[in-house]
Amino acid sequence: MGRFAWRNLLTLPVRTALALIGLSIPILGVMGLFSLSGGLRNMVGDTLSKVEGVMVLRENTPSPVFSQLPASLGATLRTVSGVRVVAPEVWGIAPNIEGRNMIGGLLAGKGAQSLFDQPVVQGQDLVPHQQLHSAVYPRALKEKGEGRFLTAADVGAPHIVISRKIAREYPGPDGKPRKVGDTLHVGGKPFQIIGLYETGSMLLDVVIVMDIATARDLLKVSDDMVSSYYVETVNPTDNDRVADAIEKAEPSVEARSMSEFMANFGALMGQVDKFLLMTVSLALLVGVVGIINTMLMSTSERFVEFGVLRTNGWSRGDVLALVTLESAFLGLLSGAVGSALAMVGVAVANQFVSGGVRLAMPPWLIALGVGLSVVTGTLGGLYPAWRAARLVPMDAIRVGSR
Amino acid sequence: MIEVVDVKKSYKSGDRQVDALRGVSCRIAKGRFAFIVGPSGSGKSTLLYLLGALDGPTAGTIRVEGRELTAMSEAEQNAYRRDKVGFIFQSFNLISNLTAVENVLVPFLPRGIPDGMRERAERLLSEVGLGDRLDHRPYQLSGGEQQRVAIARALIKDPVLVLGDEPTGELDSKTGDEIYRILRRLQAQHKTTLVVVTHDRRFITPDDLVLEILDGRLKDDEPAAGSDPQDDLAEAEIGL
Repeated sequence: MGRFAWRNLLTLPVRTALALIGLSIPILGVMGLFSLSGGLRNMVGDTLSKVEGVMVLRENTPSPVFSQLPASLGATLRTVSGVRVVAPEVWGIAPNIEGRNMIGGLLAGKGAQSLFDQPVVQGQDLVPHQQLHSAVYPRALKEKGEGRFLTAADVGAPHIVISRKIAREYPGPDGKPRKVGDTLHVGGKPFQIIGLYETGSMLLDVVIVMDIATARDLLKVSDDMVSSYYVETVNPTDNDRVADAIEKAEPSVEARSMSEFMANFGALMGQVDKFLLMTVSLALLVGVVGIINTMLMSTSERFVEFGVLRTNGWSRGDVLALVTLESAFLGLLSGAVGSALAMVGVAVANQFVSGGVRLAMPPWLIALGVGLSVVTGTLGGLYPAWRAARLVPMDAIRVGSR
Repeated sequence: MIEVVDVKKSYKSGDRQVDALRGVSCRIAKGRFAFIVGPSGSGKSTLLYLLGALDGPTAGTIRVEGRELTAMSEAEQNAYRRDKVGFIFQSFNLISNLTAVENVLVPFLPRGIPDGMRERAERLLSEVGLGDRLDHRPYQLSGGEQQRVAIARALIKDPVLVLGDEPTGELDSKTGDEIYRILRRLQAQHKTTLVVVTHDRRFITPDDLVLEILDGRLKDDEPAAGSDPQDDLAEAEIGL
């Protein structure tokens, strides 16, 4: 019966192709969106895996850029058991760079991209930061960058370390990316670039690193305030416990280990996935309607055939199975085409996306796409199949012959 | 033996009630070649389809080889159509996506083709002169050839009864003659009962049983007041 069903599907290739397109596009959408969602998870996961310490922020602030804490809190944090280094930081959205700011980016038509690319300033208390084993930017500079990182000798000096991405986006007068030794104007003040780093993450490669005093001066932050503390523990596997201890010692702060960040991000992406699924469900619904339409047309034209099958002993169930099998095959084909398109799309998209986003098409996602398509196809075929199966053989032949 | 006792069939056509059969009784002996004749709309095809359990009568009983069709469950009727009855239609009604041999094997497609059945299908197609066209699709065959495939399909199950609804209605007279020659040869060979609806009386021989239907009743079978339908059975058997 399988071969018979398959051949029936190929009888009207144009109609089958149209129905196939109608279903494969939503499947492509499902796989593309989940691939994107997976890519974002990977990117954030990779980013957070580079940050091995605990971030201490003002309670209920989403980012250190919006956090303010007293500079005196550092002394309290150092007393918490398991803490190795407490490194104060000042964060802020970078004032205009070479005369360009975020509003300018938005107006220049870069849209939401300019929000992701908006550089931020991080002022590091250089002495404790030099004691860190898990500092992200010095490691990134050493591995893929050039120049040198900030040291105690740079305290108070207008020296900065920027990412290669910022160097490219704010090129020199010759149009070439900024180099070590060049000057970059931030907030109208000249800063000398002493190092270039590259983490590969779009979340990290937007940071302009400088001495904390220089940053305070640039961002107008008073000496008795910091934005956050980067806390390194004696034993990184102990991060969650240390974070809990910090929050107990100072209830007005939030101490987040990266595993907690990841869990929060995972929960957020779970909500995003639900929203995506709802959106895609609508597209799938259109696909189902397309299948119903195709199969209804197909079965309406084949009343005589069903009557003949019934006269030859086919039961209602056999006719139901035949038509359902045809629509399931249509779903399978659509799933295969949708998956193939999604794989090609992901391969092409990965050539163009940057910033650590890697779109992936794991086997489970292909199985999900094909499975969803088969289920959609089967569901779409049920009503036409039921309609074909309930025909009285005599009526089917008579009505179909007219 | 086929026994039809006081069979009535009514159906709705829009708001109108149509009495297609108004109490038909007849008996067809095993191995006979029976013709159902009559004008269009007289109820010929309705009677034929009732004999094939393609629909149920409104009243009355039909027995084929001792089994009462009207008492069968749907599954039993499916099995009856699959194993005991062959159909030949005016429009051939082959499945366009299947080859000649696959069309012959259609009754067995849902549950798998039994051992030896493919060889039997090929033999039957050879018997109707299509041994060299086994893998041809219907569109590659002439009308006469398609009808011969339909005959082979009707006989593949070694049926007790073959029902034909105007089997030569869409064929020229020469091809029609050929089809009847094949039908008579195969009927003699397979000892099958054949019941054929036709408008064309030239295919009827004196040995055949003729059931003439007029306005839903067998001609010469007008029910007398208070008569027992069983009494009519023998009359239908008279034939010409």
